Amino acid sequence: MIDGTIQGTTEETHQATGCRTRFAGLLAPGLLPDRLDRLALALRLSPMQAPAGPAPLAVLLAGDGTAVPESDALWLPPVAAWIEPPAGTGASDASARLAALMAEAEASDLYLNLTTATAHDLQLGGRLLAALSARHPLEGDRRDDVELALHEAVCNALVHGNLGVAGMKELSAQELERFSRDLGDRLADPVLASRRIVVTLRIDPAEDGRPLATVEIADEGAGFNPGPRASSGASGRGLDLIGTIADGLTLEDGGRRIRMRFRL
Amino acid sequence: MDYGIEVRDQEAVIRLRGRLTFNDHAKLRALIGEMGQNKLKRQVLDLSSLEFVDSAGIGMLLIAREEMERAAKQFILRGAAGQVKRVLTVAQIAKIVPIED
Repeated sequence: MIDGTIQGTTEETHQATGCRTRFAGLLAPGLLPDRLDRLALALRLSPMQAPAGPAPLAVLLAGDGTAVPESDALWLPPVAAWIEPPAGTGASDASARLAALMAEAEASDLYLNLTTATAHDLQLGGRLLAALSARHPLEGDRRDDVELALHEAVCNALVHGNLGVAGMKELSAQELERFSRDLGDRLADPVLASRRIVVTLRIDPAEDGRPLATVEIADEGAGFNPGPRASSGASGRGLDLIGTIADGLTLEDGGRRIRMRFRL
Repeated sequence: MDYGIEVRDQEAVIRLRGRLTFNDHAKLRALIGEMGQNKLKRQVLDLSSLEFVDSAGIGMLLIAREEMERAAKQFILRGAAGQVKRVLTVAQIAKIVPIED
């Protein structure tokens, strides 16, 4: 697995395996330096203390909630991947799993793979928008709209997908209370909180030559059937808003994966 | 999201600040409770300092509006700008809640 992701492979090999991003370095705020060094060595990346240089970097986010990067710099170029290392039974197991995620990251222009517990507080919609906009500037209403679409898709994946919390159907304070309680209970459930959200973003030229961003957001929930939605309740507007904003919207894997396209 | 309540002669003005998203459920519950407790008939939500709202935030505003109706109070949204104004428009909230500039 690691062999397929090493630096120094020929360009032809990278194209053949769908490599879009060749990572040069690894950042891991919150990890002990010797652990960062070991992981970086296993992935054949340079361990780094702060973002620098033009080559793409990956950030490892520790899953204990103590190392959430508040620094905006960790969400901007050259950082192109944000990964919470999978729990492993041993050091070699953990680095093999991480190598598999790095291979997924290499096939994207931007990549994010986090547990629900970590993703929940990060305002990922805004973070993804900032990362995208730093590469292809978005302004004014379009910027606001794309941020909202990304935010809604992330929230759906976390709240309704991974945590399985039902939307607020009735317009009542009791229903808001029920939503609040369910959300708290399920975030406290270690099985649900460790379910992952995976975001991949690719930018390609559209038929008219303008760049087109394709964003896929996948969760590990029960999926859902996008049938007719009642618009009279407190929930149920998110997907419609995304449909209004995005230039393409498809649901796959039984509703566990949403693919959105945005002209940039 | 943060909020502050100013009780005036004729109306209570609740100013929301920051970002109103699904994660603000606890604050919205507290806010609805406070709006119900003050005696004024007109409850005005001042959105001029609100930077971002999502669909769950809109849903929670509609719950607030419903609870005020149950308490026989008027509920008004005021001063929405930028992204907030845009989402209120797209979600056609003006059909349900009075919106003032």
